[in-house]
Amino acid sequence: MSAAVQETKAEAGAPLLQADGVSIQFGGLKALTDFNLSVRQGDLQGLIGPNGAGKSTAFNVLTGVYQPTQGEVRVGGQRVNGWLPHQINHLGLARTFQNIRLFRALTALDNVKVACRAQGALHPEGVGLGAKMKGAFINYRDWWRALLLTPRFQQEERELTQQAEHLLEVMGLSHRRDEEARNLPYGEQRRLEIARALGTQPKVLLLDEPAAGMNTREKADLMVLIRKLRDDFKLGVLVIEHDMKLVMGICECITVLDHGETIARGAPAQVRNDRKVIEAYLGDSYLESHGGAA
Amino acid sequence: METPAIPVPEARSAVPASLRGLLPVLLALPVLALFQWLMSDAPFASYLLSVVGVNIILAVSLNIVNGMTGQFSIGHAGFMAVGAYISGVLSLNLKDVALSFLPVAVSDQVFFVVSLLVGGLAAALCGFLVGLPSLRLRGDYLAIVTLGFGEIIRVVVQNTDAFGRALGLSGIPQTSSPAMVYFWVFLTVLVARRITGSSHGRSLWAIREDEVAAEAMGVDTTGYKVRAFVISSFFAGIAGALFAHFVPIINPGSFTFVKSMEIVVMVVLGGLGSTTGAIVAATFLTLLPEGMRSLFTLLGAEGSLAQKVDQIRMPVYGLLLVALMLARPQGLFGTKEIWDVLPRWIPRKRRGLA
Repeated sequence: MSAAVQETKAEAGAPLLQADGVSIQFGGLKALTDFNLSVRQGDLQGLIGPNGAGKSTAFNVLTGVYQPTQGEVRVGGQRVNGWLPHQINHLGLARTFQNIRLFRALTALDNVKVACRAQGALHPEGVGLGAKMKGAFINYRDWWRALLLTPRFQQEERELTQQAEHLLEVMGLSHRRDEEARNLPYGEQRRLEIARALGTQPKVLLLDEPAAGMNTREKADLMVLIRKLRDDFKLGVLVIEHDMKLVMGICECITVLDHGETIARGAPAQVRNDRKVIEAYLGDSYLESHGGAA
Repeated sequence: METPAIPVPEARSAVPASLRGLLPVLLALPVLALFQWLMSDAPFASYLLSVVGVNIILAVSLNIVNGMTGQFSIGHAGFMAVGAYISGVLSLNLKDVALSFLPVAVSDQVFFVVSLLVGGLAAALCGFLVGLPSLRLRGDYLAIVTLGFGEIIRVVVQNTDAFGRALGLSGIPQTSSPAMVYFWVFLTVLVARRITGSSHGRSLWAIREDEVAAEAMGVDTTGYKVRAFVISSFFAGIAGALFAHFVPIINPGSFTFVKSMEIVVMVVLGGLGSTTGAIVAATFLTLLPEGMRSLFTLLGAEGSLAQKVDQIRMPVYGLLLVALMLARPQGLFGTKEIWDVLPRWIPRKRRGLA
């Protein structure tokens, strides 16, 4: 136990997710300019900005959906420019989506099992040929085990089920275990997405507008839940959110984007009073009529 | 009858874990032997059932790609052709070779199985080569590439002397038997079922549902798509190889785009993603023209009318599909399987008896 605690403390210092001067350009459009970010274990950071500020683009660059035009992204110290999203996920970065993207026809349990399994099949997929060959070999061995229904395969399936059931329980979804994901109410679909992301055993969790479409009570519950997850699963969390109350309520550090540029960063109180932030959110005219805030 | 609240223990738990993998095969062998004995005196029924079997293999294997993985391949006849011609040429060349320490019939079967596997593996290799570049992309690229592949294979065969050009290959030893065909049917279905029930199958379903999310959750989407495609191609090759060993002649006309579409129709009709559906639809659509032919014969309208029946098969397909898509857009079975429903019935009946 104590060794584990010490290890956690030692690791807490190193950034698990780091973006260094990341820029991304779509043709002539600069979607993100010189974006810097560093998430450590135990962090709960926010990423905010008006519509079209580049928040989701930033998520997509971090998770490997888009490749940065400039700069580099590091996950757990490993440079991941040019890596595929599933490889980055294997390094310990998991995400949810702004518009829920569950496997709709699969049951809640299977949704989580897909994610759990992908990690069970974690291969040393580096860029090197040797690592790739080894990964391919393990994969083909796994296929044969499944086709021959070996005792070992059956055991693995049971473990996966247990793991997934545990995550459903944590997210309060046990009663939906065998229900198809598409039949779940909206709030539960959001929670199932988080359960699925946790199934990949991440070190850093990226939540893209987790509170969208929720009512005030659900949002309050969500705030408590996100904190709890961070502590129980020893995560670093990065949240994109529109709801100021939620972001200001739980995040210790907030990055504000506008037109792809980072206009402010700091503690909630500091960001709230930043002139540029108010300008971006409420416009110049607001500042003029109210005589400025900063 | 009321469902009791006590959880039903799984019927399968009586079987030791180490035996569960092999058990279906052990159960299937005597059934196949009995089947072969029944068929030994009925050449036409043997032939017809073999065709049904080959179509089941094709439909079930295509369903792994088009149904479970949600990709769209329309060149399955091309892979079938690869299997048929490669194994056909091999068997033709090995016709007079026999293993001296075995009886001739057994030796023939050994060579037959070898040539089946070679045909299947050749098709799988083609599947890999076709799938690797086209499955990296999303959407309709696979359809275009597989369509092209099917046509290329046909044209290549048509212009190669070794494959008999447009005349086709004849004289391939007729070593196939209904039992052998249905052994492979059984293997294909078993593989399809075990894939569905495994984590690999769940990954394939996840790709079908949402590729972006699957990738983000750590599923190597390209890798899984290629593997599904290779497995599917392998069984298509086996189906072609079986086909080549019970029809008197194979020619490029058997492996056209129409054949590919026939298989796609079977899969869609049965329900994309349902192995049961693929089996039922393949059986139904293969027997339908034969049934119609027999019906006309019974009615005394032999001859020209009976021949026309074969020609109206495609319009009938079309009408059937339109009617079905209006009534049941998800296909006959949707994504349901007969084995998902059966276990719930059997224990209930047993309780009723006890």
